[in-house]
Amino acid sequence: MTELKSRNFKRLYKKEIADQKLRANLKKATIQASDKRNDSFAEVDFNFLRNEAKKIKQESVSHLNDLLSQFEDRAHKNNCTVFYAESPEKANAYILEVARKNAVKKIVKSKSMVTEEIQLVPFLEKYGIETVETDLGEYIIQLAGETPSHITAPAIHKSRTEIAQLLHDKIGIELNDDPAFLTGEARKALREKFLSAEMGISGANFLVAENGTVVVVENEGNARLSTSAVKVHVVVTGIEKVIPRFSDLRIFMRLLGRSATGQKLTSYVSLIRGPRTDKEKDGPEEVHIVLLDNGRSRLLGSEHQEVLHCIRCGACLNVCPVYRNIGGHAYGSVYPGPIGSLVTPLFFGPENAPELPFASSLCGNCTEVCPVGISIHHQLLAMRQEIKSETKGGLEKFVFKNFRKTMLRPQRYRLFSRLARIFSSTPIARKAIKGWTDYRDLPQLPSRSFREIYKSNKGKG
Amino acid sequence: MTDDREKIFAAIRRSLRGTERSDALRSPASPLTSVHREDPEPPFRKFRTELEALGGFAESLKYETDASKFIAEHTEPASSIFIYDQVATRFRSLVGSLSESRRLRFGNEFAAGYDKREVASFDAAVTGCAACVAETGTVVIQTDMRLPAALAPKLFVVVEQKQLVASLDELFTDTFGNADASNLFMITGPSRTADIEKQLVKGVHGPRDVLVLFINE
Repeated sequence: MTELKSRNFKRLYKKEIADQKLRANLKKATIQASDKRNDSFAEVDFNFLRNEAKKIKQESVSHLNDLLSQFEDRAHKNNCTVFYAESPEKANAYILEVARKNAVKKIVKSKSMVTEEIQLVPFLEKYGIETVETDLGEYIIQLAGETPSHITAPAIHKSRTEIAQLLHDKIGIELNDDPAFLTGEARKALREKFLSAEMGISGANFLVAENGTVVVVENEGNARLSTSAVKVHVVVTGIEKVIPRFSDLRIFMRLLGRSATGQKLTSYVSLIRGPRTDKEKDGPEEVHIVLLDNGRSRLLGSEHQEVLHCIRCGACLNVCPVYRNIGGHAYGSVYPGPIGSLVTPLFFGPENAPELPFASSLCGNCTEVCPVGISIHHQLLAMRQEIKSETKGGLEKFVFKNFRKTMLRPQRYRLFSRLARIFSSTPIARKAIKGWTDYRDLPQLPSRSFREIYKSNKGKG
Repeated sequence: MTDDREKIFAAIRRSLRGTERSDALRSPASPLTSVHREDPEPPFRKFRTELEALGGFAESLKYETDASKFIAEHTEPASSIFIYDQVATRFRSLVGSLSESRRLRFGNEFAAGYDKREVASFDAAVTGCAACVAETGTVVIQTDMRLPAALAPKLFVVVEQKQLVASLDELFTDTFGNADASNLFMITGPSRTADIEKQLVKGVHGPRDVLVLFINE
């Protein structure tokens, strides 16, 4: 694996936050998305569904071995091949082996966060296998040579003008920034890929232990084609995606589309049980299901176990004041936003993302909207404590130690608040905390405290 | 290549050792509690409201020949229309009548390994369905050919009233669908994207038009 960019969060966010256009694009898109989400829950009882989903996920991760065994058994009966990979390297090597065995030259791929996590596309391309992203947003990002900046809206940071120029340069279409035109042109280019590819790769939103069903949720129809128009279908997903029963889907289907895009249900849900049967005339001849661990099993039994409940809807990104201002690329991880600030250090090690748990105002918006009840902001706080308890000394520790003392002693508090009021009125104040004032206002504190004003006005009616 | 099954299972066991399990696994046969609030609208009206809100179309027709007339009206005279075997078998009058004005291609003309490009050239496909869900305006199809319904720009779904269920609760039961088939697809309105500046565009890789015809005959 290449070194994670998430180590450089401080440098990355400074670049992004200075981009006013990006911030405006993000704000508009995320506010629109969260408004749609809120409207879509009007007809159902969100809290009831969330509690049910949480119970199912708790049940699933605490019985993970049993459910994986059951899923594997059913999948074998459905003529699928199941492959367990402890690491990204192992998963990639297996997928390459499957591709080579089938003399695959071209792969069509639908959206999958796990394939981003294991950096599958660059790996396959390195071995000369053309691997085409077919979700429109992912296709745009692939042509731009970038990484997604949102879990469900990968090109959220790009304007239509930028996309029009990109498609003009890369696939030679007329320069026209109408989204319908651009979508139509991308459809034409990708249709050709679907018809000529030998292999398809998808993720999975859920794996049903009871009957071995792989559930893939999407809106464009590209996942349906990536899993149907090919000779070999490879599913790549995490071990935590398994749920016990087919009937559990009635809970998750009502939550996922609403949380992700404000839809009651996404346009397509593919329920895949296996390769084509003797009675069917198309569909893949082979289905391989690659189940990735990559740090997930370590989280079981820990205080971070509930992070494994995540269904990757992206709702927490849309409501996060930090994400709204810095966008996904600043996180330097395939998993951005509040949930990414947890998943990245947990999957890849805290040394690879030491700053991410601090990229939160701890306002709790993320926890409020999480459809599976992950207490995201409490988890972030716990991660901060773990990271800080491992570091020694430092100015920050000194400051916070003294802040605590000050807050506990009224006399000391009054002294320091008076000093702060005097200091904030001096010209050096702004310069002294330049890092803070670069992107924010520093309002001048009033010359008298509330207590002083109250005392002087007491009795005046 | 040998996989890491045993290593991963051992790691899971190690991590979960000493932790309390939240619940015993609930039996799959345990009774389901409906989570769907009852709709004041009758199921067909609800189905139509939901589908049309997404840009799809639903109509209740008396006879199969009405459906045939509808399909002819909504396709060009030169269109080539793919007819799934299940439709050809179940709705003979519809197909017979439609064949008088449109060029029809039938599922039984194709064998495994068929030419995908030929199927991609069809202007429309007519399929039956396994169920329809009023709550979300969804049709669920289970067919022996996946591609015609996934590639055609226009998809007609012919439904019998008895196939309409009120909610997703009735769909996700352990007896739903033909267990021997490799797939089930749920289709809720046209293929769509909002990947460019969150502006909704219909018809990306799948059908732009989804027209569902209920036959009461």
